[in-house]
Amino acid sequence: MQWWHSILQLSLLASSALPVAASSWGFADATVSVQTKGAGVGAGLKEQIPSNGALSTPVPLGNADTLKIVLTSQEDKSAKSAHQVFLLLQDPGSGLDISYPFSVKGNGKSRVELTWKDLPTQFLSVSKSIDARILIGSFGSSKAYDEPAFQLSLARGADEPVPTFEVSRYGKLPEIHHIFKDDAQSPPIVITLTFVAMVLATFPILAGVWLYLGANVCHLSTAMKSAPLPHAAFLGSLLAIEGIFFLYYTSWTLFQIIPAVAAVGVVTFISGSRALGEVQGRRLAGLR
Amino acid sequence: MRWCPSLLLFGFLAAVNALSSSGNRLLVVLEDAEEKGSYSTLWGDLEGRGYNLIFESPKNEQLSLFELGDRAYDHILLLPPKSKGFGPSLSPKNLVDFMNSDGNVLLALSGKSTTPSAISSLLLEFDLHLSTDRSSVVVDHFNYDTLSASDKHDVLLLPRPGSLRPDTKNFFGGEGVLAFPSANPHTLGDNSLLAPILRAPTTAYSYNPKEDSNSVEEVFATGSQLALVSAMQARNSARFTLLGSVESLQDKWFSATVKAPGGNQAETANRDFAKQLTAWTFKETGVLKVGKIEHHLAKDDITVEDLNPSIYRIKNETVFSIEVSEYNYDRFIPFTVPTNDALQLEFTMLSPFHRLTLHPTATTANSTIYNTAFTVPDQHGIFSFRVNYKRPFLTYLEEKHEVTVRHYAHNEYPRSWKISGGWVWIAGLWSVVGGFLAFVFVWLYSVPASSVAKGKSKKMQ
Repeated sequence: MQWWHSILQLSLLASSALPVAASSWGFADATVSVQTKGAGVGAGLKEQIPSNGALSTPVPLGNADTLKIVLTSQEDKSAKSAHQVFLLLQDPGSGLDISYPFSVKGNGKSRVELTWKDLPTQFLSVSKSIDARILIGSFGSSKAYDEPAFQLSLARGADEPVPTFEVSRYGKLPEIHHIFKDDAQSPPIVITLTFVAMVLATFPILAGVWLYLGANVCHLSTAMKSAPLPHAAFLGSLLAIEGIFFLYYTSWTLFQIIPAVAAVGVVTFISGSRALGEVQGRRLAGLR
Repeated sequence: MRWCPSLLLFGFLAAVNALSSSGNRLLVVLEDAEEKGSYSTLWGDLEGRGYNLIFESPKNEQLSLFELGDRAYDHILLLPPKSKGFGPSLSPKNLVDFMNSDGNVLLALSGKSTTPSAISSLLLEFDLHLSTDRSSVVVDHFNYDTLSASDKHDVLLLPRPGSLRPDTKNFFGGEGVLAFPSANPHTLGDNSLLAPILRAPTTAYSYNPKEDSNSVEEVFATGSQLALVSAMQARNSARFTLLGSVESLQDKWFSATVKAPGGNQAETANRDFAKQLTAWTFKETGVLKVGKIEHHLAKDDITVEDLNPSIYRIKNETVFSIEVSEYNYDRFIPFTVPTNDALQLEFTMLSPFHRLTLHPTATTANSTIYNTAFTVPDQHGIFSFRVNYKRPFLTYLEEKHEVTVRHYAHNEYPRSWKISGGWVWIAGLWSVVGGFLAFVFVWLYSVPASSVAKGKSKKMQ
């Protein structure tokens, strides 16, 4: 049993030695209360903050509420005013912190009041609850106190807007990819082909109507006999002009077709006047 | 191969100028010549890095920052004055003029004496704010040196700063602990040119030691809102650094042994931090430089004539590349974009049509080549390739290269027969041509139907 005793003695020694070696700051009689404006005295939340501990439930603070914390700062269990008695609020998300000094009386009694107006916008826009810590420290060798006291949650009404804030800092910007206009679309090929077929169907209709009306080429041999060269050249040059237009459509440029059309046009003019003269001769002869 | 000579020139310049990228004339403004000795390690370190230190007293009436309208010094290190200010030659206006002509300033303050209002108004130019009584000291009852300030708690022990944001480069990090004796705190305005380098711990606060009160009830700022070291990089990339504690540069604190409450004894890393701080302020680190910029059509065989054309067509496939170097103490090294950050190219006409990340594709001895490919937007006009890289602690890059973006030319559209919707009209056109030729043929050689019938009836008779 001796070793058991010696360990007990050692641990007792150790536990008593620590506070002797370094005195420390603390507090007593700490209460946090929330007063709603217009509500009677005593209404609203009021809770005792345990020394060295935190409240388990968050403290709600509404827009019209005032948070009030009262405590007595102590150095080694005896009431004494400290140089720093702060309520430290820290946003666990961003790590942003702000402290509110208590007003301290000579006997260590300290109080702080806090409303929404005192909080910076950055805290008001936080959706989660904010960590509230109590800091008590002063000059000298006493160990300063820094422990969580409670969680502060902003009780925001459903119709109250969440404030937003904007900071402009140099940094990367979101990527932008240009949205292109849609390419031109053609209708379904079936529809196109149907209409092409309708256009081309005019040919057989035209031929049929002509045949019905008695169109013929009976004078071809007569004309060829009387003026073979002008007729051949006239028809040939007409075909050539259409051929040049086809080339212009597919590959030639305007300045390529102008001389060609001019040359063929002269042939058409000269041979056309002869050929049409022959046609006139047939008419004068009463053949047409 | 064209930039080989420039590479050689780079190397040559780096060898000759093995120090700050912007000159070595450093003016040290020190009022009390006797104090010079207590900073001897700092002077030795600066001279060892190639600076030509010129010590002047602010009382010297011959002192002028400009000579014949040009900067007479490249950098200024201002130690806190004992008297009411730095005097007429170092007025806030002159210092701002000095920065406007690309000079860099490191201003050290001390919490031991009241800061002159001239300095306070200089700091207001940069949106840095001192407490209204200008004689505040930061104390922290949780992170102080128990060996030298067991009672007053005004020697702050701080870890080396981490990076400012997840997407910035950390020029001031490292091992060890920093000691900041009697630091004069300041707060930062909401300004993108400002960046805090070192903030006070969460539990710190500032107070005026001359005020005799049992407890603080009115505070200027608390916790990490108090900055101890901050940087302002002007739009011309001139740098201004405010150091809250000039004592932290003294020999005594360069190699002091400190002990935090409940911690172990440790050597201060102030000397290393002072090196980083002076190196950054005097442009030995964080200086970016753009090498060649190339843009061309995305095709395989690129000749010199194809590079950097002045005109593009809409929907062209285009490649853009930029070469960026970073100055690191004595030479240019390839620049790497910090993690979570991006070097971005904008293709802009009034507003960006494309904003794309440039990716590193190649590295030379002292530069990285960043590159991206994209399709020119379907909008004609005067566009510009813009690289606007402005980040805390890095000198600003702003490149703008204008190009014309034209329409399709008339012969660049697809031909009409390739558009199936046009086939109906093409068929119509050629059927008219065919119909005309057939009509001409029939008109020339047709015999009237009545005479054909007559001929037939004659034959029958």
